[in-house]
Amino acid sequence: MGKKTEESSVIVVTSGKGGVGKTTTVANVASALARKGYKIAVMDLDIGLKKLDLILGLENRVIYDIIQVIEGECTLKQALVKDKRFPELYMLPAAQTRNKDDIKPEQVQEICRQLRPEFDFIFIDCPAGIEQGFRNAIAAADKAIVVTNPEVSAVRDADRIIGMLESAQFQDIQLVINRLQASMVKSGDMLSIDDLLEHLCITLLGIVPEDKKVLISTNKGEPIVLNERSEAGLAFNNIANRLLGQQVDFPSFEEDSLWGKIRNLGRNLFSKE
Amino acid sequence: MLDFLKRIFADSSSRKQANDRLRVVLTHDRTGTSSRLMETLKEEILEVISRHVEIEGRPEVKIIREGRHSALDINIPLKGR
Repeated sequence: MGKKTEESSVIVVTSGKGGVGKTTTVANVASALARKGYKIAVMDLDIGLKKLDLILGLENRVIYDIIQVIEGECTLKQALVKDKRFPELYMLPAAQTRNKDDIKPEQVQEICRQLRPEFDFIFIDCPAGIEQGFRNAIAAADKAIVVTNPEVSAVRDADRIIGMLESAQFQDIQLVINRLQASMVKSGDMLSIDDLLEHLCITLLGIVPEDKKVLISTNKGEPIVLNERSEAGLAFNNIANRLLGQQVDFPSFEEDSLWGKIRNLGRNLFSKE
Repeated sequence: MLDFLKRIFADSSSRKQANDRLRVVLTHDRTGTSSRLMETLKEEILEVISRHVEIEGRPEVKIIREGRHSALDINIPLKGR
């Protein structure tokens, strides 16, 4: 089947800090869109520390990698791994035995130029950090998704990344908050959605709750979006729908107990510095 | 009464501490400043101003955030004649 949209989007998924859920976000949002029939390519740019093949459960089907494409050992088409569960999903694997300095931003741009006519969405899984790997990953992208956790060090790194994306003239930067625990926000022990938006000042694309089912599906190499009963799966599905331009309401994490409401009101009135 | 209410509703949660610390650290990250630099700036600005006019009360020199942009907020009360 051909692509559905005329304009294709190249979206880089980045964070600064490692381990916040970039690859999980790429794998699941891409799978959700592929399931809806959109033609999707995912590109792992974490050269030397590849993960996307494992998260997608495609590690045994990798033959060639992106470096071999760049060096002309194979064609781009040969290197793309097709996902049997989602006929519209293709992955371009990273190389494991090389490093980030082995590719240049222009080479990533060239690969994306070749992918654009074939695919509706091209997702780039960016490595952690702000060095060469980051510069390679953002070079060809039209939009950026910044993934963060409600945790001070992840927010600080996200802020730095947003600053760098703005310097690189990105107009469309959206935030995914991963691993939120509503109960901890309510008890005053976790940064809330509003707190994160106040600090980072960018548009919210998705809120993914902490969900043990994510690790279980990662163990199996199955995207969590296939699990209809998982809250995280639902959240990634919502992100996919928002990328398609649909209005999907965000779940409310407002305080619901009476004492909680009184306490919040009191804090707003009396605890301003 | 007000003090009593303030004490009851004082927010000492770790979430508030995280927010307070982030506000400071992000402002300094974005502008490439530090608490020490702000002290130095304040001293030098006051020195220049007081060379020409008399300062009264508690002058303030701080960075304020508006969205992702920052500004230096200088408030120096001057003594009237």
